[in-house]
Amino acid sequence: MMPSLQHISLAIRVPLLAAGLMVLLAVVAAELVLNTLDDLQDARIREIAKMHVEALSVALGPHVLRDDVWEVYDTLTRASLGTQGQRLVFTAVGNENGRVLAASDPVRAPVDSMIGELARGARSPQELSATGSSTSILLTAPLMYQGRNVGQVLTELDISDLISERMRIGRLLVLANGVATLGLALIGYWMMRRMLMPITRLARRMHETAGAPQPLPVSDLPNGNSELSRLINTYNEMAVAVQAKAETERRLAERERFVSLGRLSSSLAHEVNNPLGGMLNITDTLHKFADQPAVVRQSAELLSRGLAHLRDIVRATLDQNRLDRAGAALSLQDFDDLKLLISPEINLKHQYLDWQVSVEGSLMSGFSSGPMRQIILNLLLNASAAAGQIALKMEQQGPHLELSVVDNGPGLSDEARFRLMSAAPIAPGGGQGLRLVRDLVAELSGVIRTKKTAGRTRISVTLPIPVNDEVTQC
Amino acid sequence: MTPITRRTIIRSASAAAFAATVPSAFKARAGGSFRLGLTPVFLDNDVAVIDQLRDALSTAMGMAVELEQRRTYQEVTGLLLEGSVDAAWLCGYPYLQHKAALSLLAVPVWNGKPLYQSYLIAEKDDPAQSLENLNGGTHAFSDPDSNSGYLVTASDLVRKGLHPEGFFSRTIFTNGHRNVVRAVSDGLVRSGSVDGYVWEVLTSEEPKLTQRTKIVTKSEWLGFPPFCARTDRMGDDKIRALQKVLLELGQTGRGRAALQMLQLDGLIPATPSLFDGIALRLHDYKGT
Repeated sequence: MMPSLQHISLAIRVPLLAAGLMVLLAVVAAELVLNTLDDLQDARIREIAKMHVEALSVALGPHVLRDDVWEVYDTLTRASLGTQGQRLVFTAVGNENGRVLAASDPVRAPVDSMIGELARGARSPQELSATGSSTSILLTAPLMYQGRNVGQVLTELDISDLISERMRIGRLLVLANGVATLGLALIGYWMMRRMLMPITRLARRMHETAGAPQPLPVSDLPNGNSELSRLINTYNEMAVAVQAKAETERRLAERERFVSLGRLSSSLAHEVNNPLGGMLNITDTLHKFADQPAVVRQSAELLSRGLAHLRDIVRATLDQNRLDRAGAALSLQDFDDLKLLISPEINLKHQYLDWQVSVEGSLMSGFSSGPMRQIILNLLLNASAAAGQIALKMEQQGPHLELSVVDNGPGLSDEARFRLMSAAPIAPGGGQGLRLVRDLVAELSGVIRTKKTAGRTRISVTLPIPVNDEVTQC
Repeated sequence: MTPITRRTIIRSASAAAFAATVPSAFKARAGGSFRLGLTPVFLDNDVAVIDQLRDALSTAMGMAVELEQRRTYQEVTGLLLEGSVDAAWLCGYPYLQHKAALSLLAVPVWNGKPLYQSYLIAEKDDPAQSLENLNGGTHAFSDPDSNSGYLVTASDLVRKGLHPEGFFSRTIFTNGHRNVVRAVSDGLVRSGSVDGYVWEVLTSEEPKLTQRTKIVTKSEWLGFPPFCARTDRMGDDKIRALQKVLLELGQTGRGRAALQMLQLDGLIPATPSLFDGIALRLHDYKGT
């Protein structure tokens, strides 16, 4: 029951709780009133009984003392016709020997019968109580006259009026409480709903725009400067801030693609410059030996090879940054491009690169070229920045594609590890490459692991191979 | 002329206040009133009857008549004997007990005769058919000095060699014939001894009271309760006036009204022999 209650909306739970508390309060109040009424009625019936016994003692004392049956009877009869006639149902008076002297109903209590048998269940005035459903109570008390006990009084009191009064008040209480509680509960429910409406809208908005919070429309903002209005305003400000941050991150990620290329630019320039120098020498040779066909042919061949190399470098660079390649499938050509792009950096630093790509082209086609190139290039650049020996290995592991980059550097710094492994916001400044790797792997539902053993640092990326040749979009 | 002082004023005022608080009985007596004692023999609870009787007697006698009631026969008889009342409506039994000192003024006539009976009554469904059947039960008498309400039943038992205290499990005195009927009717006692005249009047006036009772036996006809005065005062004008008024009560409108309420025909002169039946029972009862 409780768990299901927790699923009920706050806008319903709070009003229901308020209504429940009102019902509880009504029940407690009714109980208190009825208890007080019981006490009052008990006190009243005890007072009546006490006065009744005292009056009978005064009126009957001398007659009981003289054993005067008729006078006792006549007094009882006249008393029953008095103002308390409706209250006194029956009264019997016994003498010192416990025998009935006279009773208001002689048939019920014949003269000289034992009064004790009639007094079973009777209580003393101090013990009388009007509670319960019985409409009459039996009272017994000693009959005192001139300070001595001269007999016994047994009286049946009609308390039906008290019982009906209590029941009437009880019914009225229940009715009044019920109506009042229902009214208050409805008002409370309506007011609570109204007060919590902004929260409900906020919760709905947050649910509908999960992951990309959007501010609530101005029309949904509560009036005034209440806590709720401040809360909603704060939420709206946060939503705007989150949108701005997401936009900033998107721009940063976009820029990162150029960052990695920027890092390669000097080595690429060097790579372009070498063949250019060679080709300028060849053009000098062509000028000098333009009349020697063998030299011209050899020079043209050399020029052709140099220009082809330049073409490849330019194409790889373009491909790395062309936006329209984002949807293209991964192929072995991409790995050749990557090798071409990283080689100048490796060569410039006199590093060693072990290149082991042993995956069939058909398996690669399930992946998008753009994100995969970004992942691999950034991991290689990270390794190149720290170590002299680098190894790239790519292989199939069951339904997964296992990509690992190993280097012999000092390992990832805490900051670098944080960028690679966490989704938490990062401080402005510093490289975005490893965070880009993390985001792209997460989008591809992959897992990143790092391991440092015997002076070697391994970063592994495990990606599920898409089925049905579906190209992953990112 | 006595000078008016503060003391004189206070004394005069005190005298006036005293005069205002003097009971009407004293004032009436001072002005020549007549005091008549009434035994609780009959409808002594009926204020209207008492008022009607007083009114009729006062008008006829031309003086205030005070009707003195007491709780028991003995008290009324005592008032008469000591002279606190001028005359009294007694029962035949106390008349006979004090026959030497009392004289008869008149006796009421009921159903054409100056006679009445004593009824032995029981609860309506009681199987008793005779006095003997009521043995061991509770019994209500009217008054120990009442003929119909005590002497008749007591003498019946004595004639059988019994006595009320032993024959009945308990006897009570109700100080009134109407109360005897109430006691039997309500079931307080099993049986009762009651004035037959009272029972019959109650049957017509308060049928609910007597319809829960039945008559077990009736006594022989006995002398109706008479009006008496002290023999030594029989020559007084007031006594003679009362006697005349009583005997002529049926001749006045107020008198007839009073007699009608009492369901009596009138009053006639009485002789002691009218009470021979009671005297016989008294003899038998006292003989024990």
